[in-house]
Amino acid sequence: MTDAIALEDERHMAEPPADTITLRARGLDFYYGKTQALFGVDAPVARNRVTALIGPSGCGKSTLLRTFNRMYDLYPGQRATGEVTLEGEDLLSLRDIALLRSRIGMVFQKPTPFPMSIYDNVAFGVRLYQNKSRRELDGIVENALRRAALWDEVKDKLKASGLSLSGGQQQRLCVARGIAVEPEILLLDEPASALDPISTAKLEETIDQLKKDFTIVIVTHNLAQAARISDYTGFMYLGRMIEFGPTEELFVKPSTRRAQDYVQGRFG
Amino acid sequence: MAFDRRARRNLGNLVFVGACGLATLVALLALSLIMVSLVKQGFAGLNADIFTRATPAPGSEGGLINAILGSLMMCALGMAIAVVVGLLAGTWLAEYGGDTFYAHLVRFLNDVLLSAPSILVGLFVYELVVRPLHGFSGFAGAVALALIAAPVVTRTTEDILRLQPSALREAGVALGAARWITIRKIIWPGARAGLLTGALLAFARISGETAPLLFTALNNQFLNLDMRQPMASLPAVIFQFALSAYDDWRSLAWTGALLIALTVLSVNIIGRLIAARGTYRP
Repeated sequence: MTDAIALEDERHMAEPPADTITLRARGLDFYYGKTQALFGVDAPVARNRVTALIGPSGCGKSTLLRTFNRMYDLYPGQRATGEVTLEGEDLLSLRDIALLRSRIGMVFQKPTPFPMSIYDNVAFGVRLYQNKSRRELDGIVENALRRAALWDEVKDKLKASGLSLSGGQQQRLCVARGIAVEPEILLLDEPASALDPISTAKLEETIDQLKKDFTIVIVTHNLAQAARISDYTGFMYLGRMIEFGPTEELFVKPSTRRAQDYVQGRFG
Repeated sequence: MAFDRRARRNLGNLVFVGACGLATLVALLALSLIMVSLVKQGFAGLNADIFTRATPAPGSEGGLINAILGSLMMCALGMAIAVVVGLLAGTWLAEYGGDTFYAHLVRFLNDVLLSAPSILVGLFVYELVVRPLHGFSGFAGAVALALIAAPVVTRTTEDILRLQPSALREAGVALGAARWITIRKIIWPGARAGLLTGALLAFARISGETAPLLFTALNNQFLNLDMRQPMASLPAVIFQFALSAYDDWRSLAWTGALLIALTVLSVNIIGRLIAARGTYRP
């Protein structure tokens, strides 16, 4: 494993200021059964900033994202060791995962509207934990849809099925559903990869709006997208965090050879 | 030679497609022959009496209302039991059981039950319900039918739920919903059409079952709506009347057979239509 040793040597972490970090992975190992997918990953996520995770397919960026809300708990055989903290609280040993997940929203690669109306889709998460009057709920739903830049397109058909929307609209519906519960953090797993360029542009605009209120972690294989929308970028390779730093720095003058090769399009 | 090879392939293709077409034709021919003979023999007897009067004594006039209502009641109760058991069992297998030993065991036993001879189910329920309660009853018939329908519902439920995209499950859980809430509010509604189709197919299956009813509901010459008493059913009446020496009984048997065939056919068609329309495609 000369390659792995070389990878350990060649690492560069330029962390955000310590008091801005809200979510952090430290020395994180992850296993799919017997296969190890993450090797001692460090990832500091700054509050109210967009952090992008980039790297070639299979480098572990989605896996890292899925440890942040312990999505892997759904699958027997998958486990994580090391440390993941949210505002100092250890997530990996936390008992009440459901409550944690209500604090961390997630939007997936493919739109996943629930088989119910647009309104009920957005209200779903709110109804789980809060007992709101109809009027309050109406307000929450409208507000979430507005912030996801979908309100004008659906305000006249809130009772229509979420499945009747176009792919891009469905994805913004999923964003609205995620932010309606006012999570602290929003995890986006290649949210634009199934969308056409126009829908992608709209979604990116939405993300840009949202970073005022939320901490966003986005996995993307679109380098230009990462450069456009993120404040910090982590470059991962073979299950390791190779370089982490301010996006501009990582794209303009990367410190490691691998990150440089990758952002300049020499591999990946 | 390239040309030879192409000719040989074309010939092979022709033979294979021809054989498939022929086999389809045979199957369709059998089905249509059955339907034609049922209509020919049974349609004439289809009149208001069928739906208003109970089965007659030989030589007198009557209908099939006791058998029709008996079949409906026993199938309805049987389905009610089977849907509850099958839906929960299938959900457990698809969502929680996974690859565990117990899940494989349940799956295997369910498959055994799925192909068990229905007369054995009848005998089993005879020992389980009829003897302890000292008598044949519509209730025992419903239990026997439920035992036949439940494995069908279990199987279709598991298959349909497995088809639901895992991203949908994750999306529910990611919002902080407990696993069972995700299943109840998202996965089940998303699979609604498939689940309904499975139930309808199970219903079609049990509506023609005769053997399990012989030892359980027995039969009843008269109209009876009390599930604690022996009950008539269309299949049992057909069985009894078709083998009889009386022309009017045999004619009633044909009409009963036509009714069952039409019911099964339309339930199947409705089931397919629902399945085709309501599939979840994000």
